[in-house]
Amino acid sequence: MDKNPETSTVLKKEVKSPGKLTRMFLTLYEVYQFVLRFFKEAFLPPYEGKELLRQCYDIGYRSLLLISTTGFITGMVFTKQSRPSLAEFGATSWLPSLVAIALLRTLAPLLTSLIAAGKVGSSIGAELGSMRVTEQIDAMEVSATNPFKFLVTTRVLASTITIPILTFYTGLVGMLGALLNVWLSEGTGATLFFQMALESITFLDIIASTLKAVLFGFTIGIVGCYQGYNSSKGTEGVGKAANSSVVIGMFLIFIEEVISVQFFALFRS
Amino acid sequence: MQGTDNKRKAIVGLFILIGLIILVVAIFTLGSQKKLFVKSFSVNVVFDDIQGLKTGNNVWYSGVKVGTIKKIQFYGSSQVQVFMNIEEETHRYIHKDAKASISSDGLIGNKIIVLTSGSAKFPFVEDGDRLQVNTTLSTDEIMKTLQVNNENLVDITSNFKVLAKNLVEGKGTAGALLADEKIAENFKTIVVNLRNTTASANKMALELDAFTHTLNTKGGLADKLLTDTAVFAQLQRSVNELQKTAKSASVLTENLNQASSKLTKPDNAVGLLLNDQGTADQIKAIMQNLQTSSKKLDENMEAMQSNFLLRGYFKDKAKEEEKRQAQEH
Repeated sequence: MDKNPETSTVLKKEVKSPGKLTRMFLTLYEVYQFVLRFFKEAFLPPYEGKELLRQCYDIGYRSLLLISTTGFITGMVFTKQSRPSLAEFGATSWLPSLVAIALLRTLAPLLTSLIAAGKVGSSIGAELGSMRVTEQIDAMEVSATNPFKFLVTTRVLASTITIPILTFYTGLVGMLGALLNVWLSEGTGATLFFQMALESITFLDIIASTLKAVLFGFTIGIVGCYQGYNSSKGTEGVGKAANSSVVIGMFLIFIEEVISVQFFALFRS
Repeated sequence: MQGTDNKRKAIVGLFILIGLIILVVAIFTLGSQKKLFVKSFSVNVVFDDIQGLKTGNNVWYSGVKVGTIKKIQFYGSSQVQVFMNIEEETHRYIHKDAKASISSDGLIGNKIIVLTSGSAKFPFVEDGDRLQVNTTLSTDEIMKTLQVNNENLVDITSNFKVLAKNLVEGKGTAGALLADEKIAENFKTIVVNLRNTTASANKMALELDAFTHTLNTKGGLADKLLTDTAVFAQLQRSVNELQKTAKSASVLTENLNQASSKLTKPDNAVGLLLNDQGTADQIKAIMQNLQTSSKKLDENMEAMQSNFLLRGYFKDKAKEEEKRQAQEH
């Protein structure tokens, strides 16, 4: 097998240019292979603990301020916007329950993941893409370092770990934002607010949100890494990889959200 | 480089730790709210209709949440058995004859099970006991009753509409009362009269009051009549004397009556004078004769005055008379 990309491109052209549908299936197969390889590399030693820690720092901690601020504002604004509808029925006392359900079931994991997809996904795609086009990945292969394990596995694991943690932060900060708004408008205290909020929340909600956040984190990491790891066409490819990481990552997050809602609804009945 | 790595490790560790603390606190708070970590015992109830009750709904006792619905399953042909987890702490309040009913947390809130304590003569409830059902009105039944009320209200308003229309058009007694001016005038007059009557009655009452006050005055007649025994004795005597006088008057009247009755009869002198025509004629003739005689006597007297024998006597008498009159003046 010729591992040289240029030679393989020439060969592909010579054989036959595949159709769009075929290309899609080929891409799906490549993605499947990529994911499979991630699981193999993730569980097999040696483990890149130091790099994983660095990625957790970059992906998790460095996104904390942005995601927390967004969560706080979302909680506050969502409460404010929901109030008139509930006020029509004289049910503003239900605001904590409403916000808790909306925030902890859906908004917290979704919001965190979308912001992370924009911030982290693009950075992973761009970073790995530039490493690919500058042949740093090839250099690593030559130097007997497993670039997949070092670059991909650590990033995907870091995003899979930190996105759920960020989701917990977003949930708490979002509820604090809602509490601030409710306290300013209705004068409801924190004890009553959280009591009413948790009244409508079940363990299933927390488990579902956590599992969704894990799935979204994995998606962000794997999409970013796949796009960056397989980028080509020089600097243009870097931009494309960053862009695709965000677009495909967000798209997949929404698809997963729809499926997961249906899936967890089975356990609610 | 090593220092930076350690700093990163610490930050990432703290970051993950705080995130996990948030999760753990949320789980424990939720658990305490759902009474998951509280020691509990299970009781069950068999309902005909659970009205949408779900697993995880609350169980209330005297308005306090004491447990949750653990499991719901069909029982027999159409009944439903509901298993509840009740806090161990409330064990000593709920008796074996306690009743369970399905209620609602607010008008549109979640369904809940409400427990009543039962009577003290029964022992306390134990794990696995089956409680009795307290049948209560469901929302549907309330709505049905409300619907009947609504229909009645429609009937009432329809009747009232007809009534109001008749009133406006002046039909019927009530309508005439409202619409006819003449009746209104009469009514006004009646009211005025009534007012005057009331004023008069009031005045009369005042006067009567004053009168009775006077009667009640110490030393007054009425007071003496009622209180003084001496006055009563005097009165008694007066009445006796009056009775005697009346008797005398009666005798007198009787005598008068007899006398008057005799006057009509001609068997006595007065009766003859009053009733007999012949006697009357005789008296008339006597009177005429007397008149004639007195006239002749008068003439004889005048003749005597002119007689020389008696003329001096009469002249002296005339002079004495003139003298007496002058002295009087």
